[in-house]
Amino acid sequence: MTPEELDARLKAELPALAAPDGLRERVRLALRAEAQRPRRGYWVPAAVAAIAAALLVAVSGTWYLTSQTNERAELAQQVLASHLRSLQPGHLVDVQSNNTHNVKPWFNGKVNFSPPVGNPEPDSFPLIGGRLDYLHGRTVAALVYQRRLHVINVLVWPEGGTESLGERTENGYTELYWKKNGWEVWVVSDLNAGELREFARNL
Amino acid sequence: MQESDLAKFEAIALPHLDAAYTLARYLLRDPHDAEDAVQEAYLRAMKYFGSYRGGDPKAWVMAIVRNQCRTKSLSRQVAKSVEFDEEVHSDDSGSADALALESEAKETIREALDLLPLEFREVIVLREIQGLSYQEIADIVKAPIGTVMSRLSRGRARLEKTVKAGRP
Repeated sequence: MTPEELDARLKAELPALAAPDGLRERVRLALRAEAQRPRRGYWVPAAVAAIAAALLVAVSGTWYLTSQTNERAELAQQVLASHLRSLQPGHLVDVQSNNTHNVKPWFNGKVNFSPPVGNPEPDSFPLIGGRLDYLHGRTVAALVYQRRLHVINVLVWPEGGTESLGERTENGYTELYWKKNGWEVWVVSDLNAGELREFARNL
Repeated sequence: MQESDLAKFEAIALPHLDAAYTLARYLLRDPHDAEDAVQEAYLRAMKYFGSYRGGDPKAWVMAIVRNQCRTKSLSRQVAKSVEFDEEVHSDDSGSADALALESEAKETIREALDLLPLEFREVIVLREIQGLSYQEIADIVKAPIGTVMSRLSRGRARLEKTVKAGRP
């Protein structure tokens, strides 16, 4: 084989490849999630560890925690931990789609309920996708929306009763929660509370 | 990170995603590992974007992807050797396997490339597929330019030998 023949074979048999469908979008999402992590690098793992430690304390202290307030606080911690976990590379969504008709059926057979999946403002708060999460001793549906660089997690599961909109702030994250029409809903994001409320109103 | 910095980073790095995937795919020989490596490399690249001082963005991205693949491939080897050590095996089976693999004849350059050690594979991919200069490759693999050229020609010779022997 002459060097030219080898060149030709290298060219023909070692083609440049195209990144598979979805990789570009996955990388973009990961970059976005990473870029919006506060004091990136150290803070979030530290926060996750702190929350994990807090949860451990909360769980070991569960015997004493009977009041509604404490349960709420514990759930709020779990919701925030779920949000932070979701921002780690590769954890945000299991089904990636901006179409409610793709996201809603994806939960079929994975949870024993069909979560309400809305996309009320696709321009300002686009739906990104969904995933399963484990919260408060049960599997819940997580719906992921986006506002500019901010990721919004909506955690939802069936729950009876009615409770009007509540709000908590923790380490710069806002959590909104309510119970209505047989669903308990928690919305969590580092987005400012005003815009998050606007998002939750239309959900 | 500011939104404008992210946009700047994306504008510089994302156009080279196909090239990044190509490099990772040839270096790791596995599509899923390649995708993971690309994603991890881009996150690293963003982290170190502040220290990017201009220069060819493709070579910059290639350098980070290459390092990520090396780390991945090394950790894979470690995992493999641990697995292997735990099995009952004869003393020389490891090296005998490797020799048998290397002397195997192949019909296509692609198969032959997969048999080359990583040091050869990376210079061949960076040169023949990505079209980087010797100097850029030398910077990426952190070796003198002479070493790069010698690895390239030895790598090419080994490819040729393997496909010649495997000619149907």
